[in-house]
Amino acid sequence: MSSSFASVGQGSFWQVFFVDHRAVSGLLIILIYLLLISIIAFIFSGYIADLYLDREVRLRKYTHYLIDFFEKLIGPASKRNMKFKEYMANLVFFNAVAAIMAFVVIFYFNRNVTPVGTYSVNLSLAVHTVVSFITNTDLQHYSNPFRFSAFAQMFGLMGLMLFAPVTGFAASLAFVRGVRTNEGHLGNFYHDFFVSLFDLFLPLTLLFTIFFALEGLPETLLYYLKITVPVTNVPGYLPLGPIATFQSFETLGTNGGGFYGANAAFPLANPSWISNITEFVAFTLIPLASIISLGKVFGNRRFGTMLYSVIMVIFLIASIVTFYSELRGIPVFQNLGILYSGNMLGKETSLGIAQSSVFNVGATLTSTGIVNSSLIDYTPGGILGIITGLLMNDPLGGVGTSVINIFTYVIFTAFLASLLIGKLPEMIGFKLGSKEIKYSTLSLITHPLIVLIPLGIILVEPFLVSGMINPEPQRVTELFYEFLTSASNNGSEIGGFATNTALFNYLDSIIMLLGRYLILGIQLYIAQIFSVRSPRGESPNTVSVGSSYFGLMLFGVMIGIGLLSFFPVLALGPLLSFANDLHLFAGVMVFGH
Amino acid sequence: MLKTTFKNFSPAVEMRNPVMFVTEISMVISFIVTIDPRLFALPETPVYMDFYISVTVLLFLTLVFSNVGTAISEGKSKAITSSLQKLTATITAHLVTEEGVKDVKSSDLHVGDELVVRKNEIIPIDGEIMMGSAYVNDSSITGESRPVMKVEGDSVTGSTILLSDEMHMRVTQNPGDTYIDKMIQIVKNTTRTKTPNEIALTVLLSGLTLVFVIVVAAVYATSTAYAAPVNIMILIVLLIALIPTTIGGLLPAIGIASINTVSQFNIIAKSGKAVENAGDVDTIILDKTGTITIGEREAVKLIPNKNISVEEFATACYMCSIDDSTKEGLSIVKLSESMGASHDLPAGHQFVKFSPETKYSGIKFGNSYIFKGALKSLKEKFNLSDNFMEAVCKEISSRGGTAIPVAKDGTFLGVIELNDMLKPGIKDRINELHKMEIKTVMCTGDDEITAAFMSRESGIDNYVANSTPIDKYNVVKSEKENFRMVAMVGDGTNDAPALAFADVGLAMNSGTQAAKEAANMIDIDNNPTKLIDLIFLGKQILITRGALTTFSIANDVAKYFVIIPAAFYIFPQLAYLNILGLSDPLLAITSALIFNTIIIPALIPLALRGVKFRPSSANEILGRNILLYGIGGIITPFVVISIIYFLLGSVGVAW
Repeated sequence: MSSSFASVGQGSFWQVFFVDHRAVSGLLIILIYLLLISIIAFIFSGYIADLYLDREVRLRKYTHYLIDFFEKLIGPASKRNMKFKEYMANLVFFNAVAAIMAFVVIFYFNRNVTPVGTYSVNLSLAVHTVVSFITNTDLQHYSNPFRFSAFAQMFGLMGLMLFAPVTGFAASLAFVRGVRTNEGHLGNFYHDFFVSLFDLFLPLTLLFTIFFALEGLPETLLYYLKITVPVTNVPGYLPLGPIATFQSFETLGTNGGGFYGANAAFPLANPSWISNITEFVAFTLIPLASIISLGKVFGNRRFGTMLYSVIMVIFLIASIVTFYSELRGIPVFQNLGILYSGNMLGKETSLGIAQSSVFNVGATLTSTGIVNSSLIDYTPGGILGIITGLLMNDPLGGVGTSVINIFTYVIFTAFLASLLIGKLPEMIGFKLGSKEIKYSTLSLITHPLIVLIPLGIILVEPFLVSGMINPEPQRVTELFYEFLTSASNNGSEIGGFATNTALFNYLDSIIMLLGRYLILGIQLYIAQIFSVRSPRGESPNTVSVGSSYFGLMLFGVMIGIGLLSFFPVLALGPLLSFANDLHLFAGVMVFGH
Repeated sequence: MLKTTFKNFSPAVEMRNPVMFVTEISMVISFIVTIDPRLFALPETPVYMDFYISVTVLLFLTLVFSNVGTAISEGKSKAITSSLQKLTATITAHLVTEEGVKDVKSSDLHVGDELVVRKNEIIPIDGEIMMGSAYVNDSSITGESRPVMKVEGDSVTGSTILLSDEMHMRVTQNPGDTYIDKMIQIVKNTTRTKTPNEIALTVLLSGLTLVFVIVVAAVYATSTAYAAPVNIMILIVLLIALIPTTIGGLLPAIGIASINTVSQFNIIAKSGKAVENAGDVDTIILDKTGTITIGEREAVKLIPNKNISVEEFATACYMCSIDDSTKEGLSIVKLSESMGASHDLPAGHQFVKFSPETKYSGIKFGNSYIFKGALKSLKEKFNLSDNFMEAVCKEISSRGGTAIPVAKDGTFLGVIELNDMLKPGIKDRINELHKMEIKTVMCTGDDEITAAFMSRESGIDNYVANSTPIDKYNVVKSEKENFRMVAMVGDGTNDAPALAFADVGLAMNSGTQAAKEAANMIDIDNNPTKLIDLIFLGKQILITRGALTTFSIANDVAKYFVIIPAAFYIFPQLAYLNILGLSDPLLAITSALIFNTIIIPALIPLALRGVKFRPSSANEILGRNILLYGIGGIITPFVVISIIYFLLGSVGVAW
């Protein structure tokens, strides 16, 4: 026995305990992560509530110059109150302008001469990348940072990474305003946009850029670093850039598009467990705080607590599923009698299984899609936990969309719950008419539809896919995951086949656009319907949205819609892979006897 | 009924219900498959043929069962309308004209005509009594055979029977517009139109159906990726099992059944929405008299003043009440007789009738008078003052009774104590309302003390004493300003604004035309307590819908776990999803479909009768129903499908 092992073995009781019981220590790590984001989000939710309530936040003293300046620049359009149609039209128009500008930068001004060759992007990849970044998906069908020049990275991609979450938050401001007030309009898009930008997004990114830079992420305008490996003497080129900023945009904006292809799994984008935890906090901060703030916004704190609890239960379950599956690893190895400490394939050793699991689950529950380990190397059970969020169209959501998504689930649940207690549908004091039910149903079913229809087409015509390397069940999982991540604007990716083809680039683009703007449009329309109503107080004989029964039901509806829509595909994808592993396991058992 | 069942098979009818429409299309496809499986390149072995035939039959039965539910309730509502229609038959009416009484057909009458109705004749049309008073048998409408006393100014309904005397009436409705005609129209309409709530639910179910159609298509696509396309019939079974056929099939039945129940309550709901609104009520405004109390006040005690003998006082009470034909008056006469009142009336007496202005009545003879009435008005009119008597009155009020002082020539002779009993069971009903956290407000014309006593006795939350119709309107308004749904009962014309303003207005049939028009429901039995039943009924309809929807969707979990491993039996690795351990795939799939089919007739009684509603707080009901229909909906199919599978296997079905 080596001395280093012995010292651990003879350490304090807890040292021995945590090393021997890795399931417990891992679970503890997951709980610490979740506790940390909960505390920070609870503290921050007051600030977000103020934004939602159109109150003057303290920061406004300094930012109103900027907001006023840009509003003047936009002109009279930034002054008037807009109804749904106008609001949505301006939102789409403003996004389109940004997307086209980014496209021009990426496609026309991006002949990138580097020491290792000259790069550019083709049309379909450019379209895909722009759509992917403007819809807050940040699905990347490229991997090499040299694909883009410093200019394209900073102004094209980062510009969109700023645009997408800010638009999302502006939309949520409009949504909450529509529901909250009874003035018949949703507010002004440009005002909401600049408020989101200057009062929320930029200050936070500035703060987190400093954190990241202090934690060792490069923040430089140096384009690459030439490294000559001493033995072979072959020069290697390490791409560099303002990675700390990039990372804070990526995480705080729940974008998830990485500077490096490996994203946060690349050491320079996530050098230590401290940066890991900072990134985790960053990408859950705004979504979680916005959801909690709903309690304050609607004067029903239990409502916010209930939403928070439901999300956290899902978060915890999914994290544990992934964690235990990864810890158990592949049964074959365990049964071969090898010293096997779980599936570390594709994971950063300094982070380990627990920190990788909770990070990746969080990335799919929010619409971030950042990864700190390679998803293709996860066990099927591990993927099951990670895919949970995607099945539910990111229950924790992205910047802004978190509030809107969960609200549609709440409307749907409130309808059923009201019927169950014999009341006409009502929630937080709002009567729900058939229109709201109709549109919330529509927005909830759009997600499975835009996933399953393209998946079906691709599966029936398998020749459309090339470069599949894995056997059948994994293929289904990989394709399924590709469409799920596009539809829920997540951007997390397993890959496993040639994704950078014209077909997938365009198909994904369509799905991403529908997943973003169609669903957002339906949801904002719901807000418009609400905008002429004034809430009544919650009377004691109606469904109390803060009650644990309602929470249970909301949980059931969220899991239920995801599960009912996708169970068969899950069965033939990850569940079958999972079974194959078990099968292998059984085979080894027999062999062993 | 059988005819209606099959008439509803027409695609045009099923189109209105997307769930059943998909079922019908599936049945047609499975029928074609059964006739010639080669068209779809499906296996033709006897085992599979048996399977195809059973699927087709089961789908057919699913459609039949869902339509049977609707047909039963439609049948019931037709029975109601046709029994009403019989009442509208033309009869002879005695029209009073300038030339004398003339017999005409009831269908030729017009508004404003004057009619004579004689003893034992059927009242030909709706009208208002102009002269005379009579007992009327309303049993043709209400089913209640107890005769009702009608006096001048009361409205009478066509097709009821005059039991005594003779009366003159004025026609108030043209033939075709009468009460019964309207009832028929309403029953017909309400069963035909969907309420907003039903529309919302239909949209939700259609959305789910659409998703499941795509899911099943995706299952097919995925299976082709494994080069093992799933049999189309299995896909059809999966689709039918997944789409919410249970609630989809029973939804129309629930709606019609609720209107029928309302009709059986002898309440005419002007729309289905009105009934649903009743379930949504937050505040209920109840009248004291007739709702909380029996409404027939009875003299229970005669309290003479100091120095007055009991007999003397009893005689005075007798004299001032002998002309009073109200129930109160009769009871006073009866009580005073038993107390030894003499029956002699002084010569040259003259009766003074009660009027709302004077608020007293009695007898006058010479310069003397004996009057009974409200304390306040007697005091003012005759400058009376008697501390003892006033104290007695107050004491009676504080016990919830009504005190009627009797005055003779400037002094109080004594007080008649009238008692109004709480309706038996009303306390429990109000307690139930409390459990449902519905606010109760009592309106009464009584004084503060009586009102306070009565509301304390019956458990009412709030009361408005000395209330006038405008007070009722104000209560409705203030509750509505707090965004509460208000229900109320009314009968007089001056209740009409409040009735119209309230979310649920129940008018008494005996009430005025204006009140009946303003209300959205009319009670034929004139029993205001029914408002509470209506609230229960409204809740019951909504709960039935919610429960069946939840149950239907929750069932899908079990069906997935039965059908998916069976459909993909070629992957033995997936056996771990087969948590029931059903080893025969085709039999398992058939069992799931059988469950899906028989659950509909099994739930028809529930749909028609409605889920049992136990009054309790919203949260408790939610918890109970989630457990019962949500969790229960997940577990039940697992159990029942296993039993069906086992039974099929034990009778030798093996595929």
